[in-house]
Amino acid sequence: MTKIRFHIYILLLFCSFNFTAHSSNFLEEENFVTSFADSAISILSNDTISDSERTSSFTELVMSSIDLNLISKFVLSKAWKNASDEQKENYLIAFKDYFVSSYANKLDQYTGEKVDVIGSQEAGKYVIVESNIVREGTDTLKINLKWRLLNKNNQIKIIDLNIEGISLVIAQREEFQSFLANNDYDLDKLIEKIVSVSD
Amino acid sequence: MNLRILLVVIIGSTLFFQGCASKSTELNSSLSKQEVSTVNDPFEKVNRVVFSFNIIFDKIILRPIAVTYKAVVPGFVRNRITYSLNNLSMPITAVNNLLQGELRKAGVSTSRFIINSTVGLLGFFDPASSIGLVTETEDFGQTLSVWGVSSGPYVVLPFLGPSNPRDFAGLLSTSLLDPMYQIGGGSAPDSLRTYRLGTGAVDFRSQNVEILDDLQNNSIDYYAAVRSFYSQGRESQAASNLEIDSSEQENDIFDDFEIDESYVGPDIEITYD
Repeated sequence: MTKIRFHIYILLLFCSFNFTAHSSNFLEEENFVTSFADSAISILSNDTISDSERTSSFTELVMSSIDLNLISKFVLSKAWKNASDEQKENYLIAFKDYFVSSYANKLDQYTGEKVDVIGSQEAGKYVIVESNIVREGTDTLKINLKWRLLNKNNQIKIIDLNIEGISLVIAQREEFQSFLANNDYDLDKLIEKIVSVSD
Repeated sequence: MNLRILLVVIIGSTLFFQGCASKSTELNSSLSKQEVSTVNDPFEKVNRVVFSFNIIFDKIILRPIAVTYKAVVPGFVRNRITYSLNNLSMPITAVNNLLQGELRKAGVSTSRFIINSTVGLLGFFDPASSIGLVTETEDFGQTLSVWGVSSGPYVVLPFLGPSNPRDFAGLLSTSLLDPMYQIGGGSAPDSLRTYRLGTGAVDFRSQNVEILDDLQNNSIDYYAAVRSFYSQGRESQAASNLEIDSSEQENDIFDDFEIDESYVGPDIEITYD
């Protein structure tokens, strides 16, 4: 018995309890994420409106909180620079529809629960706000979310959402690059494909 | 002795693949200046075939099981299963913590296992977390990355899905290194293995039913999307083990992108049908 107690004592010596200090230098950005998440949850849990009303107000919230123009260009990467004005225009329109039909409706899976903001930090021209979603019915199963925000002319916009180390924008960019690489770098084919998926 | 030989073979082959990988990257960059991709996938053609096979396997077997599991088993029980799988991975996590030179983390993993297996009723509950014993699971693939072995090319394995030589080596050696498989005689390790592999697959799949359905339906290139998710996820785990802020790597990518104001584009009006 003493032996067991000794072992446990040794084990406990190894452990230091996790009080991780998080810096919160960007209160404005943190509040932006909290209020975005709160609005999202209140829309999604509103039972008094119809499904389609819920989707459209959620979409409206998402679209007003992100910098779609910037995201659109970023995910196209170098292909953006080589595109003609006509292609740029067609692409931006197609990507907006695609974004609404895939992402805006997809994000509700990550905002169904309470989002706890745990800190923020500067990252180049961006600010990253870190938060956790706690899985329903547990205290400790968490999903880590990092919001990449850009404060431009005193307007904060979401640029990217990183879920457990996976950046959605980077994933989207790699997907587009892969499609282009497999289709002779033909931007028109990509635009066509984007349109067909969002229909 | 056998174990040592196997380890040497595994590590050797990982290093070999790494060599191939860097060669092929050089080749890529000289061939295509138009798009320099960060993705290391020289076996893409074969991978896509295996990937298609896995999708069919998933569609007719794994997904239906996962969906049924989610529908029939209450959330409370499913969470217990997730906890128990996490608990069973603690001994191998502790071994990997040690191999990574992380004594403190090894202590946390071991304590978690002891507390959750006893007070936590065979790991179905997680009292350890409530007293601050929190840790991430670690596998040998992650240890190899701490040792400086890079992932090598992306590989899609039949049934097992996305991987790379480093992670596959990690997967193989987990059975050898895992203390859970060394204890007990007869069929005990086998049934443990079956529980972890089978239940683990269903547990993972059931947590991702909507996400993967969505991804599949909305993807421009589903294969590339999964590849990106896997690679990014593993890279960020590797970064956290090396105590690098994983967003650092991302920052480089985002900083590369100039905020281009030259073309504003059409006025993006949002209409709702």
